[in-house]
Amino acid sequence: MPATSLNAVGLSLNDCIKCNICTSYCPVSQVTDSFPGPKYAAPQSERFRDFGHPFYADDAGPISRTLAAGRMPDASVDFCSGCRVCNEVCPTGVRIAEINARARARIAAARGLSLRNRLLGRNELLARVGSIAPGLANFLLHNPLSRRLADALFGVAEKAPLPRWHNETLNRWLSRTRAQRLRSQQKVVYFHGCATQYYEPFVGIAAILVLEHLGYEVIVPPQNCCGLPMLSNGEFSAAEGYHRRNVARLIEFVNAGYPIIGTSTSCTLTLKEEAPELLDLENDADVRALKLATWDIFEWLRDRLDQGRLPSDLRPLHQSDRPFILPYHAPCQLRAHRIGKPALDLLARIPGLDLRESHARCCGIAGTYGYKTEKYQIAMDVGAELFDYVAAQSAASDREAAGSLSFTACDSETCRWQLEHGTGIPSRHPIELLAAACGLYDLQARRPADAN
Amino acid sequence: MAGVLDLLVIGAGLTGLFAAYTAARAGLRVRVVARGAGSTHWHAGTIDLLGYLPNGQDAVANWAQALPELPPAHPYRLLGVDAIAQALDQFQRLVAAAGLPYVRAGGGMAFTASSPPEDRNLQENDPAEQFDDPRLGQNGALISPVGAARPVYLAPAAQQAGNLEDDRPLLIAGLDGMPDFYPALIAENLQRQGRLARSASLPLDQLTERRDRSPLHLARLLDRPAAQALLTEMVVNAAAPGERVGLPAVLGLNDHARLLEKIDRALAARDPDTAQTPDRRGACAAVFEIPTLPPSLPGLRLDTALRARLDRLGVRVEIGMEVCGFHATGRRIHWIETETGSRPLRHTARNYLLATGGILGGGIHGDRCGHVKETVFDLPLTAPQTRAQWLRPLFLDKRGHPVFRAGVSVDHRFLPLDRSGAPVYDNLWAAGAVLAHTDPIRERSREGIAISTGCAAANAVVRGQQL
Repeated sequence: MPATSLNAVGLSLNDCIKCNICTSYCPVSQVTDSFPGPKYAAPQSERFRDFGHPFYADDAGPISRTLAAGRMPDASVDFCSGCRVCNEVCPTGVRIAEINARARARIAAARGLSLRNRLLGRNELLARVGSIAPGLANFLLHNPLSRRLADALFGVAEKAPLPRWHNETLNRWLSRTRAQRLRSQQKVVYFHGCATQYYEPFVGIAAILVLEHLGYEVIVPPQNCCGLPMLSNGEFSAAEGYHRRNVARLIEFVNAGYPIIGTSTSCTLTLKEEAPELLDLENDADVRALKLATWDIFEWLRDRLDQGRLPSDLRPLHQSDRPFILPYHAPCQLRAHRIGKPALDLLARIPGLDLRESHARCCGIAGTYGYKTEKYQIAMDVGAELFDYVAAQSAASDREAAGSLSFTACDSETCRWQLEHGTGIPSRHPIELLAAACGLYDLQARRPADAN
Repeated sequence: MAGVLDLLVIGAGLTGLFAAYTAARAGLRVRVVARGAGSTHWHAGTIDLLGYLPNGQDAVANWAQALPELPPAHPYRLLGVDAIAQALDQFQRLVAAAGLPYVRAGGGMAFTASSPPEDRNLQENDPAEQFDDPRLGQNGALISPVGAARPVYLAPAAQQAGNLEDDRPLLIAGLDGMPDFYPALIAENLQRQGRLARSASLPLDQLTERRDRSPLHLARLLDRPAAQALLTEMVVNAAAPGERVGLPAVLGLNDHARLLEKIDRALAARDPDTAQTPDRRGACAAVFEIPTLPPSLPGLRLDTALRARLDRLGVRVEIGMEVCGFHATGRRIHWIETETGSRPLRHTARNYLLATGGILGGGIHGDRCGHVKETVFDLPLTAPQTRAQWLRPLFLDKRGHPVFRAGVSVDHRFLPLDRSGAPVYDNLWAAGAVLAHTDPIRERSREGIAISTGCAAANAVVRGQQL
């Protein structure tokens, strides 16, 4: 049983001034009565769970308790999607979403975990098994009967946008194209995450092509799931194992001074902050070193831009003299990095691109949340704000620009799937847009421009 | 980032957003960073200029005339009546163009019409209002959430009909199951002040099945036409002829003006004879909102209006960014850093505006040892020397508490000063509740200080850029 100390997460509840700003912005409590809102679920309730009491002392130290101890959190905390909008707007820095994540972990530690949540937490395992025979796996998972069964038996929502396996994993593409890969003195490490490895290798390919275009050799070391799906589902001990394995695999590169760059905003957030903070590993030197070496890819590119080290030979994405309207949604998991919206800074340099930023709070899916039968509709209702925004831009595109909206853009994979599900319009990672603007990538077919 | 910013505003409350607006409209490249959403969200949404003088017991009737009685170092004294009036005028144009008109709360407000939102684009560029207006500075009195009289200068049009200069009898109508709004208490307090007032409670069961009926939930619900029709019917049934109806400020997030108008029209249609004091629409404004505890819809609406306007001006407002450091050589700040999930993020600009608020907003922090600190640049503060001097024994002491006067001293350009009276930095400005020599809570001057000093500091930055 892991123990967590009362670090910055727990103590931050004392900074709550009950201003209700989090409740005003919580996208989940807006659409459902099942979740009472961040203020009630986190700082207000945590105060009464003796687990969080700063003066509680026992043998393990003054402020440390095993997860299962203390008063049990109310089950409604399970309806927090973990989007972290509350953290973003909180004027006093309360770690609301993290308090909720720990509360879920305490429920899981005391009462166990459903098979469904266990499976969703292990999506890497499912993805790996499926990738052995992607065609078969896609058939087994995506036929209507299986979806109905999965809904009835496990509680995996029938209509939720499950991804499809790609016929080639990123690793297989890398070994197939090994001879073409750039060798250079300047090196970066790429953390692809599970979705890129198994479902969307083209996002990784776009990233590698851009990085190589800039003169960097891209190292893709063995790595495993960042553990976020387990953290969200309250399975902390398993998540700790995953995180420690990633640290062990990446630390030599970190020590060599290479940046760890990711295209999945939730994986990079987990490496940076969620795993160290939730699992109380912030004092571990290697964990801390990895935290400080991890970058979102656009955060890193923007840093190069600030140093004047990015090429300016970007070409339009569209053969037209009218602006190319493209709605961009900065996902909650990116906003939780607190690095601003670096993709906007970079993509603004693509000629003729009229990038329109959605101010929607959340697409609803929140990792594994929207895949759960009892939460599917909540996720769709939360996403309505974003879907409506895209629809409005689509209408504007019909009016002002050349033809209908071709794409939306979003940095996070599950959010892109939800966006496509909610709007019917294909969605792209901003790195795909940048790769296309560099002439390296076919945005429509999602493969390298020279089709290798 | 591509292209250097002219101004980086720290803080996204009314001060920071209005300063950003002022500077961006003058053509500067501006960005706003803030630790969290601004304290606008707690506000009653009114623009309070000066309700009480530091040692005065009675409400200020006219703030413009009361200005000379303020201490010489008070921000209003640095500005003078004209600069304050000009800033307010800009503010009124901005919100009117955003479809959220503000009107004078007192002094024959029916004549201080702001045009309907249709002529949006004209509005912001109209010639300035006449400053020799004899009613300039005249406060009105609106009803507080417990039924006390609040001295207010500008109010959202939705609160207009609650003015206590008006002697029509009042019906305070609450909504069943809505927390923290007590119509009977409000009516009782109004009666004690000699008003004709009674209370009613409107059933909500037909409107919502939710148990959690926060102001925001109710407001979103009341943006829907069906809910608007139902509420209109309930209000018409509850109100007696000739009565004004005060409702909690939950009448819609995006569409409250339409609902107010619907109810007004329904009441006027029912009692055509008793319609009095026609307002600019020619109808009798008989319904108004009373601010609630947070989440406060009038504050949220104001924040939304300002943010939408900034978005159109290309000003990005980055929420969730807390400043954790800065780099300066001599009297020049080169960059500030905000905390992230990993390494600090550097922000570079030519000028920086500190709009982080006072103790409540987080711009000033007091610790258990009695140290009072400005949280971003550690600027010198005027503050009581020891913790024992922070507070008076009575929480609601009319003189306020000494620690709330703590703040940053500035010169007439709003550059923070060191103890010798010289600017600490040449490119750092300060505005809003972080300023010294004012206690905005006690004075009821929060929004007036925010708008007038935010505007003045931004104008000073603009002038500096033009040199």
